[in-house]
Parts: sequence; C-alpha cells; structure tokens
Amino acid sequence: MKREIVLKVNGESYQVYVSPEKMLLDVIREDLQLTGTKKGCEAGECGACTVLMDGRPVNSCMVLAFDAVGREIVTIEGVGGLEGLHPIQEALVEHGAVQCGYCTPGIVMTAKALLDSDPNPTEEEVRKALAGNLCRCTGYVKIVEAVMDVSKQISESPELREKLSQSQEFGAKTVGR
Amino acid sequence: MQNFNYLEPGSLWEAVGILEGLEGKAFPLAGGTDLVRTFKRIGFREHGVINLKKIPELSGVKFDGQVMSIGALSTVSELLANSEVDEHFPVLAQAARALGTPQIRNLATIGGNLCTSSPASDLAPALLAYQAKIIITGPNGEREVAVNEFFKGPGQNVLDRGEILTRIDLNLPVPGTIGAFLKHGVRKSHEIALVNTAVLIIPVRGSDKIAVARIALGAVGPTPFRAWQAEEQLAGAEGGLPQFEEAAKIAQELASPIDDVRASADYRKHMAGVLVKRALFQAWGGKV
Repeated sequence: MKREIVLKVNGESYQVYVSPEKMLLDVIREDLQLTGTKKGCEAGECGACTVLMDGRPVNSCMVLAFDAVGREIVTIEGVGGLEGLHPIQEALVEHGAVQCGYCTPGIVMTAKALLDSDPNPTEEEVRKALAGNLCRCTGYVKIVEAVMDVSKQISESPELREKLSQSQEFGAKTVGR
Repeated sequence: MQNFNYLEPGSLWEAVGILEGLEGKAFPLAGGTDLVRTFKRIGFREHGVINLKKIPELSGVKFDGQVMSIGALSTVSELLANSEVDEHFPVLAQAARALGTPQIRNLATIGGNLCTSSPASDLAPALLAYQAKIIITGPNGEREVAVNEFFKGPGQNVLDRGEILTRIDLNLPVPGTIGAFLKHGVRKSHEIALVNTAVLIIPVRGSDKIAVARIALGAVGPTPFRAWQAEEQLAGAEGGLPQFEEAAKIAQELASPIDDVRASADYRKHMAGVLVKRALFQAWGGKV
C-alpha cells in the first residue's frame, strides 16, 4: 500500500507517495526525476547508484525509500553548484577518467565522501575507497590519478579547501531540481 | 494477493510481538544488504519487513574496560571507526575491513551479518576467535548463546520464532594476546571469501610457548567453525613454523567445503590449510 513519506535530498524536502517495496534509487530517479544517479546491477555490486546518506556513500539500490526517511541524502545533482563543476568532476574530465560515463556519478559521490572525511588520502586509500565502484572502461588508473590530483589541489590551496566546505551547503541548496 | 508490508516498531517488545505474530512472513530489517537482495529474488509480495532501526537499544558500541557490547545494528563502518575496537579487538577490525565494499560496509550491520548466517561471513571467524556471546531477546525473554553454538547451517541459526539478536558481547582478551585475520579470494576487495580465518594466540609470558590458541575458519563448511583439534595441538607447544604447519594440517582436515562456480572443494580445502598457517605465522610476528 502506497504511503506518503518525506525524503530530504540535496537539502530539499520532497513529499512522495510510494509503495514500501520501492528502492531509494527508484524514488530518486522516477519520483524526484533526478536521473543523474544511475541504475546498474541493482544488487549492491557495481556502485553506479551510489548516493551519500548522512555523508556516507551507500548503494541506493539496496535501501528501501521508507528506510531513508529522516536521513540526509545527497545525489550527484547536489554536488558542485550553479557556478560550475565540483573539483572532482573537473579532475575526472581533465585526466580523461570518463569514457562511457555511466559509473561517473557514483565515482564522484564516493570520492567526495572520501575527500570530505580525509582530504589527504594515500593512493592505496583512494583505491580502497573506490573498491565499490566498478568501471569497465578506464582501468581505474586515471580515476585514481584524478582523485589524487584533487587531494593535492586541496592541500596546496586553502581557498579551495574553504570553497569546498562552503559548496557542500551551497550545492545542496541551489541544485537538485 | 497481499501487499508488501513495512513496519517500524519503536520498541524491542513491540518488534518481538509483531515478529511472533507474522509467522515467518515478515523479516527483521537491519542493513538490508542481504535481505533486500533476497526480496528482489523471491519477490516482495506477500512478505514484509520489520525495520529495527527505530529501536534504540539495538544501536551503539559500549566498552567498560572489560566487556565490549556491540548493538546488533552497529554498521561495519561504525566498528571500523571505533578506536576501541581497533585497539582491543584488532582481529575483528581486520575482518570488518575485509567485508564487502565501502558502500556495503556503510549499510551492513554486525547483527545482520550473523543472522544471515552465511558460511562465508567475514565477521564470524573473528567473533568465534574472540568467543563472542550473542544476546537474543524473544517472547520468553532474554537468552545468551555462545557464538560457536549460534550457527546451524548455511543461512540457519538458533533464532526461534519471534526472536531478535540484540547485541554481541566480547570479553577483553588477556594482555599480550596476538592474532590475525586473513581472507582468500580472487580479488583483493569486493569479494566473498573462498576461505577466511581468524586466529588468536595467547603466548606464555617470557617464553616462546603458546598457552592458548584459537583458530576459526569460514567458507569451508556449512557454518563458520572453530578448529578445536588444531587449537589443542598448539596449546603448550613452542610457537614456530613447524608447529603452525602441523596445526594447519589438522585444521585443513576439519574443512568440508563445497564445489561451486567460484572454486573447487579441493582448492578451498588446500587453501584453508595455507591460510591458517599464514595467519598463525603472521600473528606470531613472522613475515609471510
């Protein structure tokens, strides 16, 4: 039986009327029309559907929408801001770490969660953090290089560090429709 | 045809009551990383979940200096973020690090991992080595089960109708206890173990002798299990590669793995021995 729930996505509250068996992923894509989050394996394997829940990356195909009530969800639409791409997105483009692009939104979310919690990871830590995001095109090398590059940019630029900590809120409030 | 039922009890007793009343039609929902997959396979209709996340006493990790009480809904990531787990129960931390992917670890819970009762659980061997106590609440009140008596077969455990696993208690190991967790798979991460093992050794102080050894194996039998005979072999023995090889041989003989698409039984059995030897040697301070 369908019920009304309120989901907080990218800083905005959405009232949706959904069945209890509906996954967070499907509500995000179908009800909220935020199709940046991709549907891959639907079994918690590939990471294409990764969103942040209370700041941590999760497979949105494994979470019942009802179970996400009261949690802070951030999707790829909530990353960056109206002023342009997030530095992680820019770095992925610059390093040629995007080929078909299907895994990219998930990669961005996971990399963002990593750099938000640890702006200065080792390459090993980046690889481990990205272990749940499968990419069949790039061979991962360029993705890892891109994330390491952002980390380097953050450590070299206090302004970027400042901007990123602000853009978390800015991005969430201004994007996401 | 009945619709999928979603319930969210606010107390443990309410959950127990609902669970008992619904006769196996509704399943307790913790992290969901196994249960949701199951529903996707068998269909949601005519089933339901009892989401346990609104029950306060199932969350949180407490340590009083002697006993660590881990709420059943503690996620694998929460275990990893807890410095006391890392400091006092490092083998459990190593096992937690080996489980799934970051995304799965952020959802999956220790209670769910035990209740799924997969023979290849990564947490189970570590909990066996630490002799964890499983606390269960059901219609007849609370009871306690040693973790080595919890599993009954692939996907099966001692939980009766209406019972919920509420927490896991670990006693602080004797000072000087050393250990290791090793997992063998085809990939370095994002893998279901072909075989995994957790070992703990309590050395006799000021000597090269072993007072107590505990060896637990996963994915090479219907349930994760303790290799008692191998442990006995090491009790009182000198620590060293020849002794570890001997114990590993015994542990290997206790393994009864299956043949499947991921590996042959022979290979798993062989690797069970190799892994136990390596884990003992590594715990003892040797390099593999």
